Amino acid sequence: MLARALPLVVLIAAGIYLSLAIKLPYGATARPGAGFYPTLVAVFACLVGLVAAAQAFFAPRPARAVVAADAELPGARRRVFSTVGALAVSCFVLPWIGYVATAFLFVTVVLRALGSRWPAALVIGGVSAAVSFYLFAVLLDVPLPRGVW
Amino acid sequence: MGPLEGIVYGFSVALTPTNVFACFIGVVVGTLVGVLPGIGPVGAMALLLPSTFALHPATALIMLAGIYYGAMYGGSTTSILVNVPGEAGSVVTLIDGYQMTRKGRAGAALAIAAVGSFVAGTIGVVGIMVAAAWLADLAVRFGPPEYFAITLGGLVLLSRLTGGSLVHAFIMVAIGLALGTVGMDSISALRRFTFGSVQLSQGVDLVPVIMGLYGVAEVLLLAEEGIRRASIATVRLREMLPTRLEWRQSAAPIARGSVVGFISGLVPGPAAVLSTFIAYAVEKKVSKTPERFGQGAVEGVAGPEAANNAATAGAMVPLLSLGIPFSPATAILLGALVIHGLNPGPLLISQRPEVFWGFIASMYIGNLMLLILNLPLVGMFVSVLRLPQHVLATLVLLLCLVGAYSLNNSFLDLWVLTIFGIFGYALRKLRVDPSPLVVALVLGPMMEKTLRQALFLTRGDIVELVSRPLTAAILILPAAALVVPPLVRLLRRGRSVAGDRAHEVAP
Repeated sequence: MLARALPLVVLIAAGIYLSLAIKLPYGATARPGAGFYPTLVAVFACLVGLVAAAQAFFAPRPARAVVAADAELPGARRRVFSTVGALAVSCFVLPWIGYVATAFLFVTVVLRALGSRWPAALVIGGVSAAVSFYLFAVLLDVPLPRGVW
Repeated sequence: MGPLEGIVYGFSVALTPTNVFACFIGVVVGTLVGVLPGIGPVGAMALLLPSTFALHPATALIMLAGIYYGAMYGGSTTSILVNVPGEAGSVVTLIDGYQMTRKGRAGAALAIAAVGSFVAGTIGVVGIMVAAAWLADLAVRFGPPEYFAITLGGLVLLSRLTGGSLVHAFIMVAIGLALGTVGMDSISALRRFTFGSVQLSQGVDLVPVIMGLYGVAEVLLLAEEGIRRASIATVRLREMLPTRLEWRQSAAPIARGSVVGFISGLVPGPAAVLSTFIAYAVEKKVSKTPERFGQGAVEGVAGPEAANNAATAGAMVPLLSLGIPFSPATAILLGALVIHGLNPGPLLISQRPEVFWGFIASMYIGNLMLLILNLPLVGMFVSVLRLPQHVLATLVLLLCLVGAYSLNNSFLDLWVLTIFGIFGYALRKLRVDPSPLVVALVLGPMMEKTLRQALFLTRGDIVELVSRPLTAAILILPAAALVVPPLVRLLRRGRSVAGDRAHEVAP
């Protein structure tokens, strides 16, 4: 399904990109404007998207044996979704609760999702948040977000 | 400054305590990421790029390049001892390397791999000295049409050589080129595709994209497996001495692998990976006993290991002499040069000789360090594999978050990291290589600028643009790469159909 979704997503995105590109000043071939090159890129993207879509929908489908070789490990999808979810939530809460709290929660949740026990996840979460804050914010002087308080 | 004078000056730069330390950190980190399956040199370089902002440009480049070629050494260790490639450039090594381990020759395989890598690295450095200086002299004569041809040709060749479907590679190129147009237009200063965002007017930063595609995506693949520990063969130091026969059998493959690797590195594409496959095929072809390959032939370790190291050196030539990166790793090095206010290209040698020659000399020092580190300390590096992989993966994600944010103190970069992490994971599942996207993102703005300048110069005459002698010469190879393979396939199909018909007609 993913193999069929990619060309469709590319085709839709290329169409949107083309509609935005043609609104930019095109200029002339001898004096190209800001929209000249994006229009070329958009046309190229539409063409490869079309070819990829044609290949995905009309080419012979892979044999069952090939599909079976990609069989998932038990719980793999849950672990990947949890990790992605933790990453997305971290991006969202980082400006509000600051780096230390985000790092602690992020490491704890991801470790737990990947199979660590609660005590280990909590301890590693706490230590990694503290050590990384000290390393980056104090030693390397990297300005990390401190949150709203 | 001639090559000999230059390299002597380079050693005076590279041997300062700061640069030796930077080189040491680079090669140690490189070896570690090479040893660890899943975390590659590109992700590690992107991760450490923000920490080099405060350093001198030469020091930053020395450290980042150390990670790149250090990973080639580390990757072979995991291939030989665990039968899992530490990074993509070591896939071929495991065929015969692991078989040598099963026969009790793991130490010899590791020693040959390390010595082969060192010799290849040294030959590669000599190659850079000669080729980069020569190409830079030639490139001074290049104008916008030639640079446009090089970027266009490079992307076509990269797409062709990446492996897998050409259409998928072109999709990656299209996404990279489109992303490269986001932000302020370099000629008219018009904001494009920014949707009113001030942060986006600076464009999409390369580093969070690379961290997402290589760092986060690899961690998500590791997340699929959950808690995992590797079973590792133990090697004692006294077992690391190859026999006289093994040395004799390895000498020529190391020399051949070095040449094959360096030439592969000059061509756009996944040189470190491709070179190992070519070197392995060459060794099998020239061997009087090809049946030993796959059963623990030392030539099958020596050739590819030399090749992947020489390829990393070859890949530096277009970067240093033209300012054009043809791989994600060299794209990061270009990013580091640009961040430090340098103008990579043919004038780098004359304008910033301390960066150019210091960097080249550091590669020699780094290779020597790796040889010294990898032989006696192989047990220590391998012990990293005993650490729980899921804890390492989680900490890598945390470092990605810090690295992406600290680049511009921008929350937008965190979202770029996450989105490209998910996208990179989907690409891995589809077996699509994301490197054309990264290279297109870097080359896109240069391609647009040179195309517009070239069209202005030729008054919009596209035929004149592509028919200039140098431009045409540059475009012949990528054009052939596009046209020849389908033609050959068509001819073969035609012949086989004709053969089948003749077979049917014959009684």
